[in-house]
Formats: sequence, C-alpha cells, structure tokens
Amino acid sequence: MTAPLLEVEDLRVRFPLAEGTVEAVRGISFTLGRERLGIVGESGSGKSQTGRAILGLTAKPGEVTAERLAFDGVDLMAAPPGLRRSLRGSRMTMVMQDPRYSLNPVMTVGQQIIESYRAHKPVSRREAKQAALAMLEDVRITAPDRVMALYPHELSGGMGQRVMIAMMLITGPELLIADEPTSALDVTVRGEVLRILDQLVSTRGMGLILISHDLEMVASFCDRVLVMYAGKIVEELASGALGEARHPYTRGLIGCLPKLAGDSHPLPVLARDPAWAR
Amino acid sequence: MTAPLLEADNLSVRFGVGRLTVAALDDVSFTLTPGESLGLVGESGSGKSTVLRAITGLAPLSGGRLRLAGADVATPRRMDFFTAVQMVFQDPYASLHPRHTVDQILAEPLAIHRIPDGEARIVAALREVGLGPSYRFRYPHQLSGGQRQRIAIARALILRPKIVLLDEPTSALDASVQAEILNLLEELRRAFGLAYVLVSHDLAVVAHLCERLIVLRQGRMVEETTAAALRDGSVKADYTRAMLAASKGFARAPAAASIAPARNI
Repeated sequence: MTAPLLEVEDLRVRFPLAEGTVEAVRGISFTLGRERLGIVGESGSGKSQTGRAILGLTAKPGEVTAERLAFDGVDLMAAPPGLRRSLRGSRMTMVMQDPRYSLNPVMTVGQQIIESYRAHKPVSRREAKQAALAMLEDVRITAPDRVMALYPHELSGGMGQRVMIAMMLITGPELLIADEPTSALDVTVRGEVLRILDQLVSTRGMGLILISHDLEMVASFCDRVLVMYAGKIVEELASGALGEARHPYTRGLIGCLPKLAGDSHPLPVLARDPAWAR
Repeated sequence: MTAPLLEADNLSVRFGVGRLTVAALDDVSFTLTPGESLGLVGESGSGKSTVLRAITGLAPLSGGRLRLAGADVATPRRMDFFTAVQMVFQDPYASLHPRHTVDQILAEPLAIHRIPDGEARIVAALREVGLGPSYRFRYPHQLSGGQRQRIAIARALILRPKIVLLDEPTSALDASVQAEILNLLEELRRAFGLAYVLVSHDLAVVAHLCERLIVLRQGRMVEETTAAALRDGSVKADYTRAMLAASKGFARAPAAASIAPARNI
C-alpha cells in the first residue's frame, strides 16, 4: 500500500466579504489514489472551489485552511509559493470548463502547447514541437500539424476541449483536476472526450478528480463519487451504486431528473432540508 | 383531426454569400396542432435553434413556406403574429434587461400591444409562474436562475400566445431547478392549452415534455419520431440511436455504432 497521491483533511475555503464571511467549502476530507474520483454538486456547492484550493488557485480575498493538504507527501499548506508554482502545471494540473474562455485567443494552439511544455521542461523549441504533435495525436486530433497552426476561435468545442487536455497532460502530471470538462459539449462529443480522458488516465496511471453537476455521467465514469452540498460532502458512493444512495439530497437529485425509461408527471421536486447544510 | 396551427414546409435558411454560403437549414418541414408539443433535437450546429429563429423572423428564410392558422406569415412579422407566438430563450442571465425591473420587463409587451389593465395582468402573470407580487419590483440580478427563467416565461405568456417556442429553457439551470421549471411548463400548458416547440440537446427532457420530436443534423431532418419510440428504443435512424446511447452515460467499451465522423469534432 503506497501513500495516497492526495490527502485532504478538513479543507475550508472562506471569502471575507463586506456583508460577512462566506464559507464556500466547509471542512471536507478525502484521499485520492491513482483512481478516478468524481465530485458532484449543484452550483454553489463548493465543488469548483475545492479543485481550485487543491491547486492553490483560490481567488483573492479567499482564504484556504486545512488540517492537512498533501500531494504525494508534500505538505501543500506549508509549501512556499515557489514550490507550489513548480508543482502546478508539471505534476498537478486542471482542465477548465470552457475552452472558449480558457485558451488564449491571440496565440495559435501550437504556440500555447509549446509554451506550457517549455515552462516546465528545459527542451528546445523543436523538441517541444515534436512533443506537442505527439500529444495532439494522443487526444485523437487528426492532422495535428494543421491544428497546431489554428487559433482557438477556429476550433469546435470538442476540439478545443481536447486541445486543453493535451496542453494540461503534455508535462505528464500525476494529478489532473477536470472542472466540468464536458458541460460545454454535446452528448455525442462528451462520450468521445471522456473516453480519451479515461484512456490517458489508465495508461499513465494518473489520479483524476472529475468535477461535474451531472450525477449520472460521473457515476458511470468514476470509481468513486463524492456528493457535495453547501460546502460539505454529504455522501460518498461507489461507482454504479447510485441506486444505493442513502442521503435524501442525493436521492432527490437522482429523482428530479427526467428519465427516458419510466415516466413521471409531474417530476418530483427536491425539497431542501436546512439540516443538510449543518 | 384538428387543423394544424403552424405549418412549416421545406424551410431553408442560408447564411453568407457565394462560396461561403452555409445552409443552416435545409428542407425542414413539420406541423404543429393546437395544444401539441413538438421537440427539436440535435447537436450544436444542427440548426435546431435556427428553426425557432426562422419561425419568429430572427433568421431570414431563404426558401419554404410558413403558415400560422392557415394563413401565410408575412415578413417582417406583424404584430398579431407575436400575440400568437412567443419565445423563451436559453440563458435567463442574458435574456432579461439588467436595468429593468421585473415590472418593466413584463409591462413592455403589454405597452407594445396596447393592452389595457396592465397592472392586473402583471400581478396575474407573476402568480401563474409561481412567484408572488413581492418579485415585481426586483431587478434580474436579485433573482436566481430559476426565478429569472420564470420571469422569462411570464413575459412570453402575458400576451396569451397559442404557441410558445422554448430554446433550451433549462440547460443553464441546476437539475433540481430544471425539474421545477419543467413541471411549471407542463402545468401552464395544461391550463392554457399551449402548443410548445421545444429545442433541447437533452433527450430525456424532450421525451418528458413532448409527444413528437424531430431529430436534426447539419440542418437536415434525420428522423421524425415519437417520445414513446425514444423510450422503448425503437427509433429508426442510426444517428438517433447513437445519440440515445451517448445520453445514457459513459460506457467504458467504445460504442460499436460510434457516430460517424462527419467532421473533425
């Protein structure tokens, strides 16, 4: 049994605002091995803030505290900013939601991938270009040399998301946090992107945290699912065990989705219990 | 057999000129009877939203015929067209004027159509969508996404239309809020005998709200089918079947009938 890739204990993210402090994440704990972990919740449940806090990307004036936040044995809370910066991008990375807003609109795809590679690896421009081409092929982009010269606005959504994944994985990270990587995509393209992620994760032995609001998709993709509500983990589920969900919030979330099989009119509506947030 | 309320024959919409022409819609035909609900399904770029925009006149028709209650629809659309047909847009964060109060937003269609007794209509419209009169003098930023979508629905219904065009009305909302809005749409449809044209990429939502649906791909109709066929999986076109499989979640083994790479997606 090796040490877990990521240990999170009592992680809290607070935002001091004029009208009082908002606690976005309120004491969550989990560990991650080289596996696929899903974090599911509705808007405002703190799922994205969790991902950002792990990478150290919490926006000012947010404050992050934790009993323990360790990546491969390195205590991230005590790590100096320089060390965190060198970890970020090379060993732990994040794929953002919308490729349209996360890629630089005035740089070609190739330039951006090469830039992120050379920021972490002391290689020549030519070597970086070779690596970028190989990486684009890995995310199944046909004619990578053509795509390298394209600007982000010339890409479709699915292609843009694959470029983002290529950019994040080119440094060979051990932990990938994917924040809603497929919500901007069509269902048909979604399957394709997930399959690429799945393959890369299993061949490279990475740890993956998949953040999404889509409970069914996450449950069918991940090994474990954490359900978040109001900044807390209310339930942990094994993959494919959605039917065994016990917490009323999880059950409500499953129940209120319209289903293709079996019709229910009107749809059951989620009744929120203030006790869940306590 | 009731007479169709809306008839679309061979609609086509083209954008651009010469070499750069894109056929956003090519030969799309359908009918809608009063009180019926029709779904339009497809990927982004399939032209499903363009159908709605073509009906309302937001996209210019380059061919085909559009009839409302048996009469040809004039371009530009006349006032009486909009008392019969109204639209709810996808993003409730973008479709309400940020500097107008709910009261102003709802008063606008009444003022344009010179409908008297606005005050009572606005209060009634708010009640219909499940919001109290206390919401009347709020600004959109003071409302949640679901409440905003309710206001957008109230604005569409305040003229008592017969047809409401719904462009992805719930895709910007959380699952629990989506259920509330879908229930509201069903209730309103029953109460006012509305006909819906619902655009969505979510097959489950379409099957929930519509009896009939049209599958579009790259501006063409792939299949016209029913929600029942979608449920029991007896759809005919391969494309529809592939979409159905993809919407069921992630399958580790690559699907045998993967969607043909029509383009480099």
